[in-house]
Amino acid sequence: MTHPASATIVLIDDSPATQTLFERGTKGLDVELLIFDSASASWEYLQQNRPHLLFLNIKMPGKDGLTFLKELRQLPLHKDTRVVMISSKDYAQDRSVASQLGALEFITKPTPIKAITDVVQKYLNVGFPQ
Amino acid sequence: MSNAYLRFWGVRGSYSAPFASHLGVGGNTSCVEIRVDDHVLLCDAGTGIIPFGNEIMRQDRIRELLIILTHYHWDHICGLPFFVPAFMPDWKIHFFGPGHSRKDIEEHVSAQMRAPYFPVGTEMWLANVDYLEPPPPGERLRYGPIEFGFQSVHHPGTTFGYRIRVKDKTILYVSDNECLFLDKSIRQQYGDFSSEEQELLTEMQREEYDSEIRLIQGADILIHDAQYTPDDYKKKRGWGHSCYIDVVNTAIDAGVKELFLYHHDPNYNDEMVQKIYEHALRIIEERNSSLKCHVAREGLVVDLA
Repeated sequence: MTHPASATIVLIDDSPATQTLFERGTKGLDVELLIFDSASASWEYLQQNRPHLLFLNIKMPGKDGLTFLKELRQLPLHKDTRVVMISSKDYAQDRSVASQLGALEFITKPTPIKAITDVVQKYLNVGFPQ
Repeated sequence: MSNAYLRFWGVRGSYSAPFASHLGVGGNTSCVEIRVDDHVLLCDAGTGIIPFGNEIMRQDRIRELLIILTHYHWDHICGLPFFVPAFMPDWKIHFFGPGHSRKDIEEHVSAQMRAPYFPVGTEMWLANVDYLEPPPPGERLRYGPIEFGFQSVHHPGTTFGYRIRVKDKTILYVSDNECLFLDKSIRQQYGDFSSEEQELLTEMQREEYDSEIRLIQGADILIHDAQYTPDDYKKKRGWGHSCYIDVVNTAIDAGVKELFLYHHDPNYNDEMVQKIYEHALRIIEERNSSLKCHVAREGLVVDLA
């Protein structure tokens, strides 16, 4: 018998390799990982649901992650949603804007699998199911 | 002159370079005019928009134009406070740029014109000014016979590259883009990762390369950031600009027809830009490519008819 995961994580990133990185980084953790290829693909879900942790890429086809986060923050549901940026854009301006929009951390690509596991555990305090 | 053309009014990046040694290439910052009949589209509003504004005031047929901004760094907007048509009541000026709403775009455009940095704000503009609402993702905008779309590129903050369609020609305007940045990050750190991770990193390099190719593929004309020599790029990696060698190689790979090296570093005089150009031609020859390469120079006009 399976039991529902204790936390939901959303990843918005168009990179299949990054998606695989997250699948491996959260494997075995007591979480459900939902993946969207773009901001617009995630919109319907996020209008109704608040994940426990949202990972957001910046440079993507369609809406970029910083513009999307600004929009998301205007929804009462996501005023305080925990967001972590995951991006190759290792620029001070991107870090600063993300921080002003309440992002908790800014992970730069390339990043090891363990860094994903560590961030999830840091903010969700989830372990491996018994 | 043909009824459809493109003209470079400002070709420098970062800051203007009004030095005698630089004026063969030009000292004004980013501004490119695309004209089809009486429709005028301006790409960016660096200091190059000032002489453009002065010239267009000398005619009495055109009283409307659209300015599309790649982003709001000073070298791309600092001509606006001195753009004469904006202060004329019989003009209509449309703006578009990064932002999640027209109000957001307006705030970004207006922010530089306020005390104590400038004596008057955009509320002193007498022209009928409006800001275009961002379209849904993937949708294109149209201004008379000119159609354009946009995509985020690799530069600090939200920055657009524009794909513009004019008279059966596709123009890519990518003023600021750090080409293949992730690829270089991965090369630097590759040995620090496990073999399982290295496989994913190789995949990420391929994804980034494919993304750069898609950005410029199908371009009849590519106007691209080519700011640095390899030596300067080593010192300024992470500043958001490309080494021209990466740009030339990617343009060849993508099958671009004509490349205009753009957003020249203000520290480079005419001689230096010429050396960059000559090296670009050698790369094209060595790769046996049909790519035509040019230096974007102030005043250069390209026929689009």
